[in-house]
Amino acid sequence: MTPVPSAIVAAGQTDHRSRRLDVSLGELAREAVDRCLASRGLAFADIDAIVAGNMEMFEGIYLVDQLLAAGLGGTGKPVFKLNTGGTVGASVAIACHHLVASGRYERVLGVGFEKQSEGSTQSAITTVGDPVWERAVMAGAIGNFAAMASTYIHESGATEEQAAKVAVKARRNACRNPHAHLKLPDITVEQVLESAMLAHPIRRLDMCPSSDGACAIVMAAEGVAGDLAEHPAWVHAAVTAHDQQYMGDSPKRLAVMRSLRAASEKAYGIAGIEDPRRDFDVAEIYEPATYAELAMYENLGFCAPGDGGTLIDEGVTEMEGDLPVNPSGGVLATNPVGATALIRVAEAALQVMGEAGEHQVDGVRRALATGYGGNAWTDLMILGREPR
Amino acid sequence: MDFPAGSYVVGVAHARSAPARDDVNTTELAWEAVSAALADAGVGLADIGGAVSASQDFWEGRTISSMSINEIAGGTLRSEAKVAADGVMALLYAMARIEDGDQTLNLVLAHSKESQADPHTVELAGHDPYYHRALDPDETIAAALQAQQFYARSGFGPADAARIVAAARRHGGVLPPVDAADVLASEPTADPLRTLDRAPLMDAATALVVCDAATAQRLGVPAVRLVCGAARTAPFWTDRDLTVAPELSGTVDEALALAGWQLDSLERIELTAPFAHQQLLLAGQLGLGEGPELVARFEGGTNGRLPLNPSGGWHAGSAGTVAGLAATADAAAALRGRAGRALVHGATGFCTQSHAVVLLEGVA
Repeated sequence: MTPVPSAIVAAGQTDHRSRRLDVSLGELAREAVDRCLASRGLAFADIDAIVAGNMEMFEGIYLVDQLLAAGLGGTGKPVFKLNTGGTVGASVAIACHHLVASGRYERVLGVGFEKQSEGSTQSAITTVGDPVWERAVMAGAIGNFAAMASTYIHESGATEEQAAKVAVKARRNACRNPHAHLKLPDITVEQVLESAMLAHPIRRLDMCPSSDGACAIVMAAEGVAGDLAEHPAWVHAAVTAHDQQYMGDSPKRLAVMRSLRAASEKAYGIAGIEDPRRDFDVAEIYEPATYAELAMYENLGFCAPGDGGTLIDEGVTEMEGDLPVNPSGGVLATNPVGATALIRVAEAALQVMGEAGEHQVDGVRRALATGYGGNAWTDLMILGREPR
Repeated sequence: MDFPAGSYVVGVAHARSAPARDDVNTTELAWEAVSAALADAGVGLADIGGAVSASQDFWEGRTISSMSINEIAGGTLRSEAKVAADGVMALLYAMARIEDGDQTLNLVLAHSKESQADPHTVELAGHDPYYHRALDPDETIAAALQAQQFYARSGFGPADAARIVAAARRHGGVLPPVDAADVLASEPTADPLRTLDRAPLMDAATALVVCDAATAQRLGVPAVRLVCGAARTAPFWTDRDLTVAPELSGTVDEALALAGWQLDSLERIELTAPFAHQQLLLAGQLGLGEGPELVARFEGGTNGRLPLNPSGGWHAGSAGTVAGLAATADAAAALRGRAGRALVHGATGFCTQSHAVVLLEGVA
């Protein structure tokens, strides 16, 4: 059937911090929802359905969407609760798109939230590993990315200095973003290289923080999107490619990010992207660690394999470069897991709508957003200023 | 004849459900359902474009519990998503993915291995950490408070609920039969409930192969059209009148209006609830009868009216997250190759907080 064109027409975020002691989990989510709806003068009565994303074992609240249903505006409405790991925020946005594109709903609210200070995220993440072979050596996100970064360095020849430049870019970009968590205006490559070693080659400043935060978007159908936003961020492609259960089943997982390749190749075909470095004006990608961002440059086709380090050396992905990557500061600056990938999508939408404030890139017509999670899974969206 | 545009079921299967499937892990349990559903549809895993699954991380004892089934559900390097709710919600999402043209042939899978979790610990975690958990609530305690109110207001009582359980066991054929006296003599849990009032914890999985109209026609297997669905969520159980379920009737009314159907045009209704009294409550909310006549409809003595829960429902041997999709599979199996209409309901949360329904129509 012919899909109904869909567009993001509103986005809102909390002020992300390591500990939001001033709010409960429900109040945190509601802060993002209220900001999102208020940005367009919308009320809960205007919303047809809700898609909620949260990794509930991180805070330890079972059926969290049910506990918070009323506060999220879900009473009397369908509430689709997704939890697909780090990808979940992008899964939420993609679900919002499908629910609108199918013609079933006109305005769908997507919300992702996580209050990591109230739980033990790394303990929960450890449960994704094989209980016998993987949990002891690749516990949590840091262990996983250390193993991945080692393979990436081996395959690409990327250096610690190049990874450190990613860390510097992210934390400096974050200073332009009022919502970002980790803002380090004076950070230097040397500081990154001198930061504590967590698991070789990952140093403290190579890794994303743990944040409390939430994000919300409204996805609208063609018939109403133009009434809600002057420049809606139209969905040009929404593609998911997940992968096998265990990291050990796919060596070279970071050097060869096959789910990212599969998803981007499919999405580029749908959206008519021939040269991603040329055709995108900005990208918001889910880079939990510095080395991951370099690998993602390669696997997204921003550069040739092995040239991820060169791309950051040349400043291509800086705010002033040809293809700014993560003007918001990205995951390296803000990481409330259930919201993180939705923040990527929301930031891409704000760039397309021309509403990103101090970190707005000039003249954005087309933006890429990715989510990363599970065992190197990818949920990816391409947004554009014009309907596809 | 061209099939009308929409979503279709072309394959269904259940894993063998049992109180404890110690012989299989989660992946193997799910594969039992998936492989049989694929065979039923006459397709292979390579033909599947993606999957929407339903599972609950807490019951699975791990985060991102869909990782356990990604490889055997057609999700590897393809489109896969997980809904943390009854499988009917996963089905509604899968229908949207088909109806916007994104997918043509998908799996919908619900799985749970309840034998591996402690229900009180899991259900306590569903409550506010500061204000609720100190009272040590769980789903049985919430349902007991509901049952006290419901029995007082409705005139139904434990003996009526016991007949629902006995009928479900008889219809399902998975668990050993019990009669109403057995239910009433089972161990008390929380007044007025007894052990057998609650559907037993089970290890279970159900898979559906769903597709668009062109694919259904091409495959040539008996198909059932998924006409439409709807869903609504109520406030948390501590914040509402537990003796009514207006969100259910609203959901059903919405779905019937979308389809242009009347309730009396259905030949099958499946209501999903983990406690027997909740099935009476939900059926009453839909105006399906009162008093002894309503109980009789669950027992099959319909006096000319359509039977309720001919599959036996949750009490017949399914699991949380799986039960609604399992009833959908049974309804689809019953409608394949002939005309007929069914409504299947799935529920999620304490005292059936969220309701989802799907309408099915056989393709003659």
